Amino acid sequence: MKYQIVIAGIGGQGAVFLVKVLSIASALAHQKCLGTENHGMSQRGGSVSCYVKIGDFYAPAIDEGQADLLIALEGNEALRNIQYLNKDKGVIVMNAPKNFPKVSFETHSVDAFKKAKANEFPIDALNVYMLGVTLALDPHFPFSCKEIEEAITQMNAKVAEKNIVVLHQGINDAKDKK
Amino acid sequence: MKQILMGNDAIALGLIHAGVDMVSGYPGTPSSEILGNFQKFRDKFKLEAYAQWATNEKVGFEVAYAGAISGKRTCATMKQVGLNVASDPLMSASYIGLKGAMLLISCDDPGFYSSQTEQDSRSFAKFARIPVLDPSTPQEAYDMVKLGVELSHQFESIVMLRPVMRVSHAREICEVDDSLHVKANQGNFERNIPRWGAVPPAGRFRQGLEQIDRLEAIKAWNWDHLIKPKTHALKGENVLCLTSGTGDGYVREAISELDIHADVLKLDMPYPLPKEKLEELFVHYNKVIVFEESFPCIEEQLSSPKLYGKLTKHVHVIDEFSKDKVLSAFANAGVIAPSHAYKSEKYTEELPKRPPNMCPGCPHRDVHYAITKVFKKKKSIYTSDIGCYTLGLNQAAIDTILCMGASISMASGFSISDPDKTVIATIGDSTFMHSGVAPLINAVYQNHKFILVILDNSTTAMTGRQTTPERTNPHQIDIKRIVEGCGVSCHEYVYVQDINKTVDFMKSLHEMYKTATAPVVAVVREFCVLDRENAMGRLGNVTVEVDEDKCVACDSCITNYKCPPMHYNDAGKMEIDPFLCAGCGSCLDVICPTDAFVKKEEK
Ligand code: SF4
Ligand code: SF4
Repeated sequence: MKYQIVIAGIGGQGAVFLVKVLSIASALAHQKCLGTENHGMSQRGGSVSCYVKIGDFYAPAIDEGQADLLIALEGNEALRNIQYLNKDKGVIVMNAPKNFPKVSFETHSVDAFKKAKANEFPIDALNVYMLGVTLALDPHFPFSCKEIEEAITQMNAKVAEKNIVVLHQGINDAKDKK
Repeated sequence: MKQILMGNDAIALGLIHAGVDMVSGYPGTPSSEILGNFQKFRDKFKLEAYAQWATNEKVGFEVAYAGAISGKRTCATMKQVGLNVASDPLMSASYIGLKGAMLLISCDDPGFYSSQTEQDSRSFAKFARIPVLDPSTPQEAYDMVKLGVELSHQFESIVMLRPVMRVSHAREICEVDDSLHVKANQGNFERNIPRWGAVPPAGRFRQGLEQIDRLEAIKAWNWDHLIKPKTHALKGENVLCLTSGTGDGYVREAISELDIHADVLKLDMPYPLPKEKLEELFVHYNKVIVFEESFPCIEEQLSSPKLYGKLTKHVHVIDEFSKDKVLSAFANAGVIAPSHAYKSEKYTEELPKRPPNMCPGCPHRDVHYAITKVFKKKKSIYTSDIGCYTLGLNQAAIDTILCMGASISMASGFSISDPDKTVIATIGDSTFMHSGVAPLINAVYQNHKFILVILDNSTTAMTGRQTTPERTNPHQIDIKRIVEGCGVSCHEYVYVQDINKTVDFMKSLHEMYKTATAPVVAVVREFCVLDRENAMGRLGNVTVEVDEDKCVACDSCITNYKCPPMHYNDAGKMEIDPFLCAGCGSCLDVICPTDAFVKKEEK
C-alpha cells in the first residue's frame, strides 16, 4: 500500500499530534511509515504543514501532485496546500465555513470552529475531531476506527478517554451530514 | 525491537546504546530535541550520564572534547550555524585527535526552515578534515550514531553526524537494540603535554601529518566497509546516481515511480571519499549524477568528464531537495525528457499571509512596540539578535539581524558610524549569555553610547524552551549582576500586561540616554507564554473584541502591534480570533487611535 497525507493548519492546533497518532496507527497496522513535522520559526498562529507517508517510501517530504488526502484544520491552509493533492484521487477534509471557495477535488468540510464556539467540543481537541470526520468520510483512509482509538490511547492514556469521545463526535457529525 | 521515533529521538537513543554518557550542546532548530531526549532516555533507563546545555556551541564542544580526551564517549550537539561558533576548537581538535570517542552532531537546514543560512556541515567536516556520516532517515540516524562513535574510538578522531531537518524531524518505525548494556564510563585524563598541549609549529606540524594519515586510513575503511559492499547491487545501467543523506530517498522514489533506468549508489560517509576507487566505477557508465544536499561536497572531491552536479549547474544549488528537482537534474543531464510529473496547480487567489509571528500574549511584542513608540523610526536604529524577539521584524521594530550576539557589537558600530541616531539593541537572555557578554564588555571599555534592552524570559524559547543558566541557578547567575560586573548599571523592569507601563519604562531609558556617556543597559523580566511554570499567574484573563463602529480600518494595530488573532473580517473591520487570543489585554490601551478595542469578558 502507498498512501500520502498532508496535514495543514496553524500553530497551536495540534497538527503534530496527528502525525504522531497516524504513525502509531501505521505501526499497529503493520505498515511502514515516514512522517515529518515542519518545526521552526512558526509560533502560535503561523502556517504549519506536516506529512505522513504510509507504505514503501524513502523520502519524508511529499511532492506536489502526490497526496491522497489533505486534512486541513483551517480552511485557508487547505487552499495553501492544495497543490500537494493528486489530481485524480485527492480528497480534502477541512474545517471551513459554508461559504468557502469551491475547488476541483472531492471536498468534505465541516465548520468546526462554529461547533467549538457553541461549546460542542473543546477547541483544543479540534485535531481529533477532524480525524473523526476523516474516518467517517474518506473511504480510502487506511486505518480503522479501532486502530486510531488504540493509537490515541498509546499517545497519552490519561487524556485518551476524552479524546476518543471527541473522535466519535466527529464521526457522528460527519455521518449526519452525509 | 521496533519503536516509532522522530529522528532526534532516534539519535538520542543511539547515543545511549553507543555508550555515550556525556552530552553537551546549545539548542538550535532542527537539533534541539537531541539533548532533551537524551536526558529523558537517561532518566528512563536510570543511567548516570551528563547531559547539559552549555552557554554556547564553542563551550559545549570544548566540554565534550575534554571528556573525550579523558577517554570518555561524548557528544556535542548543535545546528549548522552553531558549528560556526564551535569551529575554532573544532579545527584544533581535529589535529590533536582524542582518546575515547566524540560524536559531533551538526544538524543542517536545507530550505531555510528556521535558519539564516543554508550551510552544509559536511563541507565543514571536509574543511576540518574529519569524517562525516550523512543519514537519510531516522533509522539510519540511529545506526550511524552507533557507527560514528565506534569509528571515532577506532581512529581517535572526532566524527561528525550531519542530519538535515528532514531527518531530525522525520518520524519512522525504527528497529533499535532490545536491551541496554551500557554503563557510565569513568574518564581518566593522562597527562601528555606534547599531544594535548602541543604548541606550534613543531608539535602541531607532526599532528597535521598524522591527521592526513588518519584520513587516508578512513578513506580505505570507507571503501571497504561502506561503499564496496553496495557496489554488488549495481545493475549496470547507463547512468549512475551518487547520493548522500536525504538526496537518496528523493532519487529512489523518483526513479521507481517514473521507471527511470539508473543505478543508485548511496555514500554514507560523504567525506573523506576514496576518490580513485570511486572513479574506477565510472568506466561502466555514460553519466554520473551527484545528488546531495546542500553544497557540492561529494562532487568537489571527484573529477571526471562524466560528472554532473551542482558545479556543472545540472543540479539545483540552493533549497532542499524534492522529486521535482531530481527530475529536473535528470532532464538537464539529458537522461530523460523534461517532465512535470511532480508539479501541480497552486491556488492563486490571495490567502491570509501568516509569516512567523510571536505568540499572542508574548511580552516581547509589547517591548518592541514600546521601543518604536518612544524611539522614532527616523531618528533611531534598532539592532536585534537571534531568538523569538527576532520576529519583531513583523512590527518593523528591527533593522539588523546578523548572528548571535551581534546586536550589541553592531550597536557599538552604529553608535560610532551614525552618532546622530539613537541605537537600541535588543537581545534575549539565552543569547546574551551565548555571545552578548563579550561585546558588552567591549562597549563599556570603549564608552559606546547606545541602549541595550535584555529581554529575559529565562528560557531559550524559540527552540522549544530549553533551560538557560540563570533558570537552573537563579541565585548565582543573574543578568543584572553580570551587566554590573561588566562595569555598567542595569535598570530593571518587571513586565506587566499594561503596555502603558512598558512605554513609560522606555521613556525613562530615553531620559537616561540623553545624558549618558556609556551604554544604557536594561533588563526586562518577562516570561514565555508557553512556559507553564514561569507564566503561571502572569498570563492575562480578558478577551478583547473590536467595536466595529469605532474601527476605521487604519491598519495601525495590525502593522505596529501585529498580534496573530487580529485580522480583517468580511465587513472590512478588525476582528480578534477568540481561539488565538491569549487574553493579555495589552491591546486595550495604546495601540488603537480610535479606542476600538474593548474588553469582552474575564476568561
Ligand atoms: S514562544 Fe514564548 S517567547 Fe517565543 S514568541 Fe511565543 S511566547 Fe514569546
Ligand atoms: S488581548 Fe489583544 S494583544 Fe493580547 S493576545 Fe488578545 S488580541 Fe493579542
